[in-house]
This record gives sequence, structure tokens and C-alpha cells, in this order.
Amino acid sequence: MFSTLYIEEQIAEHPRTRAICERFPQATQVTCERYGEVFNPKAQDFRLQKRKPALILAHKHNGRVLKTPEGYGIGGRNNYYFSHMLNCLYDCRYCFLQGMYRSAHYVLYVNYEDFGKDIGTALEQSNNEPCWFFSGYDCDSLVLEPVSGFVEDFLPFFAERPAAHIELRTKSTQIRNLLKHPPIPNAVIAFSFTPAEIHAALEHKVPTIERRVEAMLKLQQAGWLIGLRFDPLIYEDNYQQQYASLFEQVCSPLDTGQLHSVSLGPFRLPRTYFKSIVRLYPDEALFAGNFTETGGMVSYPESLEHEMTDFCTRELLKHVPGTALFPCRLAA
Amino acid sequence: MINIVVALPAEARPLLDHFRLRDKQKNTAFPVYRNADMALVVAGPGKVAAAAATAVLAGTDKASTKTAWLNIGIAGHAHHAIGAAFIAHRITDHATGTSWYPPQILDLSTPTENMRTVDCPEDGYPEAALYEMEASGFFPVACRFSSSELVQCFKVISDNNTQPATAVTAKLCNQLIADRLADIEQLVNALTGLADEYTRWHAPHPELEQLSGHWHFTVSQQHQLHQLARRWQVLAPGKSLWLERLREKNKASEVLHCIQQHLDAITTGA
Ligand code: SF4
Repeated sequence: MFSTLYIEEQIAEHPRTRAICERFPQATQVTCERYGEVFNPKAQDFRLQKRKPALILAHKHNGRVLKTPEGYGIGGRNNYYFSHMLNCLYDCRYCFLQGMYRSAHYVLYVNYEDFGKDIGTALEQSNNEPCWFFSGYDCDSLVLEPVSGFVEDFLPFFAERPAAHIELRTKSTQIRNLLKHPPIPNAVIAFSFTPAEIHAALEHKVPTIERRVEAMLKLQQAGWLIGLRFDPLIYEDNYQQQYASLFEQVCSPLDTGQLHSVSLGPFRLPRTYFKSIVRLYPDEALFAGNFTETGGMVSYPESLEHEMTDFCTRELLKHVPGTALFPCRLAA
Repeated sequence: MINIVVALPAEARPLLDHFRLRDKQKNTAFPVYRNADMALVVAGPGKVAAAAATAVLAGTDKASTKTAWLNIGIAGHAHHAIGAAFIAHRITDHATGTSWYPPQILDLSTPTENMRTVDCPEDGYPEAALYEMEASGFFPVACRFSSSELVQCFKVISDNNTQPATAVTAKLCNQLIADRLADIEQLVNALTGLADEYTRWHAPHPELEQLSGHWHFTVSQQHQLHQLARRWQVLAPGKSLWLERLREKNKASEVLHCIQQHLDAITTGA
């Protein structure tokens, strides 16, 4: 899976580092002082590196738990996000990570205990009002679970803190560690989908819709709360037909009355990220489409965005209760 | 396209023969040898010479093609066997302590190692690293011209705890490189393939140059034209950008508008 492991000197002896190194005995281990030496240099090409990314094991010093941008959330007042990892095993062509980072290497912060402390602090600061913690902002929350053991580690933490709600956002089917645990009411496993045609064209290495629906169903039957994220909404001539059939395919096997939340997110990318991604993939049809720029964000023209959101909202309401639907959510 | 930087004529000789490189530029600061897809410069020993020769060679590259870069040479190591070859996964400049990490994205038979660039020959090999004299001059300069995935250092062990650097002759150096030509060729092919692929991804529309020469485009208009031509290539592959309607346009702004309209019609299906 990984042929090179970069290891920060500071966490070389951390038990999680050692366990991961043992898991990849064939991988070349390269030590570095700070992971930024490997991850941040300018002369890197995300597209080239995506052919064979390495795993960087690092210590996250600060900025571990951050307030979400205004408007991000699913109903809660106190919203935070955190990323125990940077970058993703999958390769979605619309993913903002390609525009945000120069390197496609995966960074895994092994000091989970510090993330735990900071989540605890955020919770205290809200006087134990319910807080939402969104994981999977700079990565997919579950895809590297067999290696990271992140969920395994964090579930007991959240189980003991009912006011702390966690959203694990994923396109993966790595649910084994979740199924090992009794479900907790303050965790939502949110699965993202785009229609099959978009999945085939743009979501490289992502499991099929069928497999993700199967995984979701297993979790729901085991008592886990499930979220659905149709984000980003991607335009194609026949998007109406594509999304109608996606909603049917995803919702019909589920007990939709038990869904925690459903959200739609229009395609939006900060201008600088969009430009970087186009520079990486000038040959990608998605970016040759019709986009506009407003306030530093690139999106479909407003009328088209509204048309798509309205259509998808109406169509989704045929399948899910209105109380579960959060029509627009700023997210990548 | 690939550029190779070596320090010594003895390192260059087997490469010149193997890749059939000819001396084409005698009057440059450094001897440069070429064939159609490769250039090789003999820098002389040391990181400053390596950096300068890399910059000189970069100045001769065509802007439209992405070039891979390879530093080939000899190195010492405490216990690696004489003749063993390695690619650098970390290069540390011994004098400053600065490190670089050439990304390893190719599937190659050559193992990778730490490399330490020293200012004078080192025969104590205090750390678990290859000791050599050029990589920290070569790598950051080559990375100014190409992405780091396309920039690599390949070294053959010439000295170790049992055979000191003082025993390395030009003949031995020549032989060490010659014995590793198969590994070098594998690396050259992989890097060249990657650079060619990169060049293809970023190739401008074939008619772009002709079009931009026909009307007067300001810098910002040229940028717009470039973007439109990129979209054109994706949305109307194989179709000429020279629309019949363009011929009657007098101004660059009209040309841009016309192409934009055509693209809008494609994306909205109008
Ligand atoms: S699954 Fe999410 S994080 Fe991963 S590549 Fe796709 S969009 Fe990016």
C-alpha cells in the first residue's frame, strides 16, 4: 500500500507510529524533522504524486480543532472541524484538496490524544451545550481506518461525552471498526454520493454506489445514525434523470425515517483552488464547463445552481422526511 | 526529454557511449553533450559547480516541454558494497543542514537511501548516508525548472570503510557507472516517460500560437485566449479553433467573444 513512510523525528517512537511501521515492513522509512519539509515544498505536482503517494506520520502541534466557516453545519450552534489526516486515498476530480495542497502524500497526525484534549476544551468552552465536531474535512474520515485506527480510538471518547456530536464523513466502505462497537447516539456516519455517471467519470478509486449503500445499510441495521450528503451537485445535461435515479437507489433500501440528516451542497471552490486544479488537469472536461466567479468562489452560474438545488430538493423530499433535509451546506 | 548532470568526465564517458551523446556545444561554460531526447553536462566536482551547470543546462531547454533531471555520480558509504547503486530519498546539505526529499513515485529496481552532500571528500562516513559532493547543489536548482518528482539523484558506491576514497581512479569510476547502465536506463526511461506525459497534459492548443499572432492580444487577453483554447480542446477535441466567423473580426476582443459564444453554445447545448 505504501512504499515510503516519512516519519517526523518527534513521533518516531510514538506507539501509533511504531504500529504503522510494523504494518508496512517493506516500506522505506525516511525520517524528517518536520513533515512540512516533505509536504510543503513548492516544486511538487499533485497529479504526478497521486500515482504513488507516500504516508507521512506527523505530530499536529496546533490548530487541531477549529470553528467551521459560517453556515457550515447540520442544525447545531457550536460547530467545529478537525482533521487527523490530510489528503485522501481516493481521487475525486472535483476534490478541493488538490487545489489546497501541493503534495498528494497522505499526512497522518498520530497524536490523537491531543485532538481529544482540544475537543474536550471546545466542549468546556461551550458550557457543555451540544457541539458538533466534523471530521473528514481535509480527508475521508474512514478510508484509512484499517491503518489509522482513528475511529477505534475515538468512539469511546465520544461515547463518554454525549454533548459532543461527531460527524464521520466518508465515501468508503471501511465500517468494520464501527460495527465492532455498540452504536452511540452522538455519532453520525455521513456518506457522500454523486450519480453513477459522475462517480464513474470523476470519483476515481471510490467504491461503487452499490457497495456504499450496502455498507450504510449494515450500519443502519446495527443502530448507527446515518447521514446522506449529495455534495457537490455536478451538472450534466441530464442531471435531473441522474439525480432522480441516484436518490431512488440510495434511499430506497434505507429506513429513511431513521436518517439523521440529508444535505445538498452546490459545487463551489475558492478561486485559487479552482485555478490550481485546472492547472493540474487542463484536460478535464468538468473544468471546461460553464462556471462563474463571485466573491472569490467559483461555482455554476446562480440560475443553474438554483435550478439544480431546487430540483434535487424536490426530488429528495419524495424519499426523505423534510425535517431531515438541510438543503444547502457550505462544504467541499 | 531528460537532462543529466555529472561531476566528472569519467562518470560521463559510459553514459556518452551508451546514449550516443555528441559534443554539440563546445563554447559553453560546461561541456554539454546531446542526442534528440537527452542532454548531459559535465559540471566538475562540488555542489556549486553542480548548481551552476544545472542552471546553464536549464537555459537551453525548450519552454514547451517538461524536462526530467538526473544527477548521476559516485558516493561513499560506511558499509554498502562497492558498485551498489542508490537513488536519494533524502538529500541533506552537510554545511547548512537543509534537507530535500525527492518524491519516490516510480517503480524501480534501485533501492533508495539518505544522501549527504559534503564540501570535501569524507572518509569517516559518520552517519548512515551516502556521502557525495553534488546533490544539494543540483536538486534545488533543478526543482526551479521542473517538479521534484522529475528530479532524481542516482549514485554508485565507490568507497566505503574497507576501500577508501583515495583508491578511486578515473578508470574505476568509469567502470562503476558502466556496470550500472541497466539501472540508469530504467530510471532514464521512467523519468522521460513521466516528463513526456506531463508535457502532453499541458500541451497548448496547436493553433494557439498562430491565432495569437494574427490579432493583437493584450497580456490579459492572451491569458483569456489561453483559457478558452484549453476549454476548446476539451469540449471540441479535434475541431479547428479557426472558426469561419473569426476571419471577419478586426479586434482581439471580438475574437475572444466569438470563441466564448461558441463554447457557451456547447456547454449549454444551445
Ligand atoms: S472522497 Fe472526499 S476527500 Fe477523498 S478525494 Fe473524494 S472528495 Fe476528496
